[in-house]
Amino acid sequence: MNLERLPNEEKLSLCRKYYLAGFAFLPFLWLVNVVWFFREAFFKPTYTEQLQIKAYVKRSALGLLLWVAVLTTWITIFQHFRAEWGEVGDYLSFTIPLGIP
Amino acid sequence: FVHPNFIADPFPITEKRPEENLDWVLKTGPNPPYLVILESPLFTRPIMMKLKNGSSRVAGVAVVAPNANPPKGFSPHTTCPNENTGVYTEEYDPAFAHCNVTMWNPLGNGLSYEEYDFPIFSMKDDNDTQIIRQCYLDHNRAVNGSTPQYPLCAMQLYSHMSAVTDTATCMRRNDINFSISPEMVCDPLGDYNVWASTRPINNTAKGHKMFESVVIAAARLDSRSFFFDIAPGAESGVSGFVTLLAAAQALRNATQEAQPNRTILYTFFQGETFDYIGSSRMVYDMQSNQFAVDLDNVHSVLEIGQVGLRADSKLWLHSDPVSMKNSSVNNEVRKLIVNLQTASRGLNVSVEEPGFSQPLPPSSFQRFLRARPIPGVVIEDHQSAFTNRFYESMYDNAEYLNVSYPTNMTPEEQLEFVTETAKVLIVSLNFLLSRSVLFSLCKVTRMLYGFLVRTNNSWFQQLIPSDLASHLGKLGHTFLKISEPTLLVQYLLANLTGSTPNITQDNCQNQREDEEDKESKHFYYYMWVQGAAPPNSTQREGYCVRSTVRLSKALSPAFDLRDYTSTNFSTWTESRWKSIKGRIFLVASHDLEMLTLGVGVGVLITSLILTYVISSKADMLFSAGREPANATY
Repeated sequence: MNLERLPNEEKLSLCRKYYLAGFAFLPFLWLVNVVWFFREAFFKPTYTEQLQIKAYVKRSALGLLLWVAVLTTWITIFQHFRAEWGEVGDYLSFTIPLGIP
Repeated sequence: FVHPNFIADPFPITEKRPEENLDWVLKTGPNPPYLVILESPLFTRPIMMKLKNGSSRVAGVAVVAPNANPPKGFSPHTTCPNENTGVYTEEYDPAFAHCNVTMWNPLGNGLSYEEYDFPIFSMKDDNDTQIIRQCYLDHNRAVNGSTPQYPLCAMQLYSHMSAVTDTATCMRRNDINFSISPEMVCDPLGDYNVWASTRPINNTAKGHKMFESVVIAAARLDSRSFFFDIAPGAESGVSGFVTLLAAAQALRNATQEAQPNRTILYTFFQGETFDYIGSSRMVYDMQSNQFAVDLDNVHSVLEIGQVGLRADSKLWLHSDPVSMKNSSVNNEVRKLIVNLQTASRGLNVSVEEPGFSQPLPPSSFQRFLRARPIPGVVIEDHQSAFTNRFYESMYDNAEYLNVSYPTNMTPEEQLEFVTETAKVLIVSLNFLLSRSVLFSLCKVTRMLYGFLVRTNNSWFQQLIPSDLASHLGKLGHTFLKISEPTLLVQYLLANLTGSTPNITQDNCQNQREDEEDKESKHFYYYMWVQGAAPPNSTQREGYCVRSTVRLSKALSPAFDLRDYTSTNFSTWTESRWKSIKGRIFLVASHDLEMLTLGVGVGVLITSLILTYVISSKADMLFSAGREPANATY
């Protein structure tokens, strides 16, 4: 979808929708928000809605960073300790690799 | 449980400098991981432990199996077989626990019970193995101390195992039904026991039978070795059950005239090597009224252990000193021993007791004693430690028992040739039965031939039903289904102890004598076997065999009780695996591989750049002699 052809109000509402939807445990929407609206928010000449869009993009980026940190920590811990957790590890797993503990 | 897919260089360890070569593999060699080709004299515990400890540099071991048995003994089993599941625990009698009095298998090095992180294969010493050795000599040998140059000879052994850690973990993972495609990773070891009785017993009515007093005559069917699917068990298993089969036939002939006052229950246990799977299951079934008789009906137990090698022509009668402290048990055992000794007088064998207070050797009778004190005797050919130097190894084969045939004999002739071993077993048999009875020497010799040399022979073919005929000798290793030895013993026992009533095939397969018969199936089991072809035709004439032979499930009670960490019962499971194979090839150096990759990537990037440049200058390059640019497209 080409943002060039949209009027500014619709751009703002799109950005807001993505920002709000990302709170439903969907950090990818925040990633999309950041990437898509980055040029709009920071590199286009100023227009009225741009301030709001800038705010949404910044908050999406923050949320995204938080998610990345949490997921990376959890994945590292799980991959490292799953074998030692025995039963708990098995019940948390969706697929258990064959042939290694 | 092993890790798959390591490529490494083969490195034969020669006999000449084993320590130096081992250091090369484990410490100094420049191209780890290595795959070790081990000649069989070096397949010992110290070397295998060193390889196991250095397993980051060892990718696998291939043992070259010799064509003849090694002169010294070799037993990968433990020194005290089944020490935790027999009857001699700390509570029963601490003086006898853990083989304190007699170490039954002194040559045992316990290799089968260690955990290895790499595959260990066994190769026959034939042309293929020679190719491997030649590949090493051509490419991998260090010349004058310098390191060998690429390309090097590499070998890959593939034996991926799905299960890990222990039985409790893998059984738990079998049960998880959360994922989309649940995968079974391991199966409990299990098979079937074979049993029969001299008088028909109602098998449908389980539990105690009034006025029935049985003597259990037991033998073991199974054996194992370090490697998969080579477990001949000639002395440890076959000698015992062949003797019992021949005794069963001889007794059938004798009891035609006069029934003994006690019913004899012949039992052949499977899975005894792995903590008494078969006998523990039978005792458990008897205790929970799932078997045709129960423990109150059992009068005594007579077990035939390893009887194939008889040094000094002696047989030894082992009994349990702890249960014999009870005077009634003591009296019964004394009577039994006196009977056996009386019967052996005048024969070529002498029968004695060990002469000092010694626990029972590892035997199925121990599981019966665990339930309650029962009088019983175990017959073996060793006074204290085993005479079998190859207990539970791949060398416990026909050659060890001297089951040998003159060369140039056809399979048919070999089937009928009476070997020395057969004669030895018959003598054991002769004293076993308390009167002189007709025995069939040719049957024993045929059984030894069939179980130790060649299973697909004409006599066995006659005894089995037609749907098994094409698979004889080729039945693979299966779990929880009936394995080939069990099936063969079942049909053999039926043939030797049963009768052949004249009934139609339809009735026979429906377990009845005629259309109205509803009672026979409780007492007998009917089998339709394919028989032999008469001399002037090729069509086999089948017939029905009626016998009291039954199969009883031999799966450890721990799996029914779901107690996977049980110390009372066997908890052995076997991992599932993918195909097992190996291959050798020449491998290039790492630098050459990186160079090839680099050149490829370079070609890719160059072609991309070239395409971009040409496409951006396309109008300049391709416009000469063309229409002017206002053509529409």
